[in-house]
Amino acid sequence: MSALVAAEPAVRPQPVRSETAAPMPRPASNPGLAALGLFLRNPSGLLGLAILTGLLFAALAGPHLYGVDPFEIVGAPFQPPGGDPVLGTDYLGQDILAALLQGGRATLLVGFSAALLTVVIGVTFGALAGFFGGRVDAALMKVTEFFQVLPTLLFAMVLVTLFGQRIVITTIAIGIVSWPPTARLTRAEFLRLRGLDFVKAARAAGAGPFYLIGRVILPNAAPPIVVSATLAIGTAVLFEGALSFLGLGDPNVMSWGLMIGQNRAYALEAWWTVLLPGAAIFLAVLGVSLVGDAVNDAVNPRLRKRS
Amino acid sequence: MTGLRSLGATAANAGGLLLAVVVLNFLLIQAAPGDPAQVIAGEMGGASPEIMAEIRTRYGLDRSLPEQLATYVGKVARGDLGYSFYFNEPVSRLILGRLPATALLVLSALALAVLAGAGLGILGARRPNGFVSHAVSLVAIAGNAAPVFWTGLMLLVVFASLWPVLPVAGMEDVATPRHGLAYGLDVARHLVLPGLTLGIVYVAQYSRLMRASMIDALNADYVRTARAKGLPERIVIGKHALRNALIPLVTMVGLQFGQLFAGAILVETVFAWPGLGRLTFDSILRRDYPTLLGILFCSALLVIAANLVTDLLYRLIDPRIRAGRPA
Repeated sequence: MSALVAAEPAVRPQPVRSETAAPMPRPASNPGLAALGLFLRNPSGLLGLAILTGLLFAALAGPHLYGVDPFEIVGAPFQPPGGDPVLGTDYLGQDILAALLQGGRATLLVGFSAALLTVVIGVTFGALAGFFGGRVDAALMKVTEFFQVLPTLLFAMVLVTLFGQRIVITTIAIGIVSWPPTARLTRAEFLRLRGLDFVKAARAAGAGPFYLIGRVILPNAAPPIVVSATLAIGTAVLFEGALSFLGLGDPNVMSWGLMIGQNRAYALEAWWTVLLPGAAIFLAVLGVSLVGDAVNDAVNPRLRKRS
Repeated sequence: MTGLRSLGATAANAGGLLLAVVVLNFLLIQAAPGDPAQVIAGEMGGASPEIMAEIRTRYGLDRSLPEQLATYVGKVARGDLGYSFYFNEPVSRLILGRLPATALLVLSALALAVLAGAGLGILGARRPNGFVSHAVSLVAIAGNAAPVFWTGLMLLVVFASLWPVLPVAGMEDVATPRHGLAYGLDVARHLVLPGLTLGIVYVAQYSRLMRASMIDALNADYVRTARAKGLPERIVIGKHALRNALIPLVTMVGLQFGQLFAGAILVETVFAWPGLGRLTFDSILRRDYPTLLGILFCSALLVIAANLVTDLLYRLIDPRIRAGRPA
């Protein structure tokens, strides 16, 4: 959201109230390094990174270390946490810790790959529209507007219902419904950059349109796109959770949303069966948002005081 | 371009989008695996050859694709969204029957989100580095990260077992008479938890957005001017800054109306709220495609209408747009 503001002119009046003015960082010779430095000095960004690293480690290594099949019935149903198994059992007597570890794989896999798809579609649309302008722009933006009219989750539900409940379809459906904001953002950046001198120079040197788009403009448009890609991971995790919760996920793949959906009927008697997977989704999205915000602050130091 | 003409262009654009949604629905039926007649009939009609034959003639499925499309568009234009073989009712009547409950839920959540979100955002913007401001940012990030169906389930657990002061399911008590003040109060009591659950997410987003745009507005030259000429702070914030800071919020509300509607699907599922979301869930369970696609069409229609309203609101808030000048 705040990334959209990045297209404002860089020079603006100094704020009247001095308490709002953040000290501008010293210009560094390498802007990427400077941004990394800013990111590493941002406590909430580091917290987000720690959460994400922890979750990723648990999802990747956890199932090997813990070694319990999440679909296996290990004991009586509805055992509360604190005993054996340590996080209790669900409505079928499956081990909740095993399901959380295994479920993290599916949720994070869909989150990352759907976000990647979102960025690929969004950047392609936005870059072509912003670079060529005119009729190409009008046509592509009409398509973008059309996709924004369809309620995202509902459209994803329809796609998964019609084309099958497989993890690939879920990922594609999330990508198809989530790209328009990235397209608009990329378009705005391309519109801003395409008239600048360095682009004109490259054009004069004989660069073709696709070289200009991919090698000249895109690297300079990258910072806000990276921010929106980060935030897209969080959105995708929430989408995957919602679809699985509604029973539209892949029934053969354990995921956090599936755990909530299957146990929700017993939430009153066994609250932990729903609390724990939901908390996992919450942490994942929180981690991604904190990292996204910190990246945004790092690449747009001017906005630091605002978010 | 005059304001009136740009309004006409907006309306024409809306019509085009609507037609595109109808075509999309048609393409989805065609592209789905299996025979389109089976898709239209859903799992219920698949068994009976008579129903299948009737669907084939009614939708002209033996004719060419463009002819089929024309038939389909013509049916939708007359308000015919097909027939639900599971509910045994025309889809349009099904949807209209469920619409009021969803509208009540969505509009209540929206009102909560806009009022609380804008209020918190303004509070946070007064002292951008103060405690309130950081608290608002924190609540915003947390509220945004919690999946809405999970928040709902947790509230349901709390209010069903720990602190049973509010109803956690449905829209009305069987015992309450279905008219008068008592009925209104009963519905309002049932509305609290679903409305809160759906609203929280957007309180979070709007407070964040409002805080950012309010800080921008308070730093602008016209606010300095207003303060310099000695206007009371109440007028400076309420009239000069707020009016400008509201524009991004109105944009966001318009853009997110569809998401709000989709969120209602999840909330209605959790709290057994008898609206369109519940209908969506049921139609997915039963593979009742005409109902599902009818809901997709109607929700797109609602989003387009919401965008038109947003456009009108812009004109009210920002005189530059009313005059047809670029903002």
